[in-house]
Amino acid sequence: MTPLLLFPAALGAVVTLALPLAIHLSRRSELRRIDFAALRWLSARPRPRTRLRFDERLLLAVRLLLLALIALWLARPAVEGATDETPWVAVVPGASNAVVPPGAHGVWLAPGFPSLDRPAPGGPIAVSSLLRQLDAELPRGVRLTVVVPPEITADAERLHLSRAVVWRIVGGFMSSRRPTAAPPNGLIIRYAGGREDAARYVRLAAAAWQAPGHAPDIDIAPASQPLPQTNWPLVWLVPESVPAALLDRVQHGDTILLDVAATTDIAMDTAWADAVGKPLVMSAALGRGRILRLQRRLGSRAMPELLEPDFAARLASLLAQPSPAPSRVAARNVAPTADGPAYTPPAQDLRPWLALLIAAVFFVERLLASGRRVRATA
Amino acid sequence: MSGIGAHASRNRGAGLEFAQYRAYEPGDEVRQVDWKLYARSERLFVREAERESPLTLWIVVDASASMAQGDAARPGWSRLEASKLLAVGLAELALAGADRFGWIVPGERGIVAAPADGRRQRDRLRLDFAAVVATGTFAVTDLGLLYERIGTHDLVVVLSDLFDDAVVAMMLRLAAARRDVSAIQILTAEERDFAFAGGHHFVDPETGSEVVGDGPAMRAEFVRDFEAARKALSARLAAGGVRLATHFLDEAADAPLRALFGSTLR
Repeated sequence: MTPLLLFPAALGAVVTLALPLAIHLSRRSELRRIDFAALRWLSARPRPRTRLRFDERLLLAVRLLLLALIALWLARPAVEGATDETPWVAVVPGASNAVVPPGAHGVWLAPGFPSLDRPAPGGPIAVSSLLRQLDAELPRGVRLTVVVPPEITADAERLHLSRAVVWRIVGGFMSSRRPTAAPPNGLIIRYAGGREDAARYVRLAAAAWQAPGHAPDIDIAPASQPLPQTNWPLVWLVPESVPAALLDRVQHGDTILLDVAATTDIAMDTAWADAVGKPLVMSAALGRGRILRLQRRLGSRAMPELLEPDFAARLASLLAQPSPAPSRVAARNVAPTADGPAYTPPAQDLRPWLALLIAAVFFVERLLASGRRVRATA
Repeated sequence: MSGIGAHASRNRGAGLEFAQYRAYEPGDEVRQVDWKLYARSERLFVREAERESPLTLWIVVDASASMAQGDAARPGWSRLEASKLLAVGLAELALAGADRFGWIVPGERGIVAAPADGRRQRDRLRLDFAAVVATGTFAVTDLGLLYERIGTHDLVVVLSDLFDDAVVAMMLRLAAARRDVSAIQILTAEERDFAFAGGHHFVDPETGSEVVGDGPAMRAEFVRDFEAARKALSARLAAGGVRLATHFLDEAADAPLRALFGSTLR
């Protein structure tokens, strides 16, 4: 255990110790004025005895202590190498029969590393990232056991940790988002005058996504109509500059397909090309959503792909959220190796305890300062 | 103490107590002529007796700024307050002896009250003294007034700290001019004991001069010097025919009156 200061320059604050010293000193050196008519017989002593004397020494001591503690608090005291050799067992949520040997810390491999006594945390678990964090935070020499299901969600890189980890593969299943690309469950179409034919093509394609007999969830209207508050994709067939309100919608996660003549200064990549490689639809990510733009007029002559049987599915895949990249790996293939960089374990911050102490000393100081005091009348 | 008034008078006239013979002068009552002496000496002598007559008491109160000083142990009880109490005591004594009394407070707004007797005079004194505040220095300018007002053989009692030499000089001159002068020196207990702890800033209320010093360190020297000064003053006044009593603020106020008038003026 090595005590150390993370910000030693703050110890300069100890100069404030002079403040209570001055306060308690100046009261003493203050001379009482007194009327004295028999001054003639009073021989002036050059100066009164000015020994360094302090009033209310207990209060002074408490005040000095308080300031010293605050200076120490500012200097961020910490203890390094407070080694707790208790082995750790980290269980990936979803792993079954996770048995923690007695005398070991059992935690879920989840943000914050909650104890195993708590229910398994939900939400996405970034196994690799959490393992690296745990490895970096644990003091050197602490044995770490990781209990994983046969399949985990991890990134492709094999883990390089600073310590040898016991990689125990048990049964169970790690829940994750399955890669799905379902067509959007509804569509908003807004068209300007002269784009009615184009809107019709899009509406028909969208109607093809729906199950037979199901009323299509398509909101088709002229561009002057207000947009509903849904997260359905929007097809904006207006040959004008894109309104800022629409871009704002995209920023918040919507997908929007613009008309060929709609103008925007966003650089886009090809999302769908025809047989000879010419782009039909270009797209770009914008905020949390995506923006796409047709490169041809929607018509059988300008864009023969309209008549292809897979146009509806194409349009659906364009407007659907992109499916996540595959990330499930067999646990035995990503067992961490012990050749990673070693980290200096973080020093344990002592400031919370010091803050408690400061509060206690401050309380005592207030008690002494505001309590009834016995003043020696000079 | 029956009062200041029950005392021998220097006024001579008809009475029981023989004082002296003097030669007959035209205008003397014939019945005052001592016929037996005439028979022996064939000259006319008039028999004079001492007449018991009222005496005039003047109470002179010093109201200079130094009189405002008091003890820290008893705030508000200043020399001036003690002087007022002593003045009332003197007035009561004069009243008891059916003597006339007046008072003089020298100063910028000085008070001169013509002597009179009776309870109303005492009440006037209390009224006058209620308004007196200690300020400035002892005003020497109205000394002429003092000589004018205070008759020969009048009894003068000065209430002062006697630190101002003008007061002492005035008393000595009055005594030299055959006035019966007494003084009550009013001192604080602090001046007697100098019980100051710690550093102090001593300020003379009249001159404004200052002395800074530590109480315990200055005590011995001050007590010695002050005692010597008091002795010197006492000797000087005694030589000048002025009687002196000292009153300390923490002592009973009747002691100086008793010392001055208790035994002698019965």
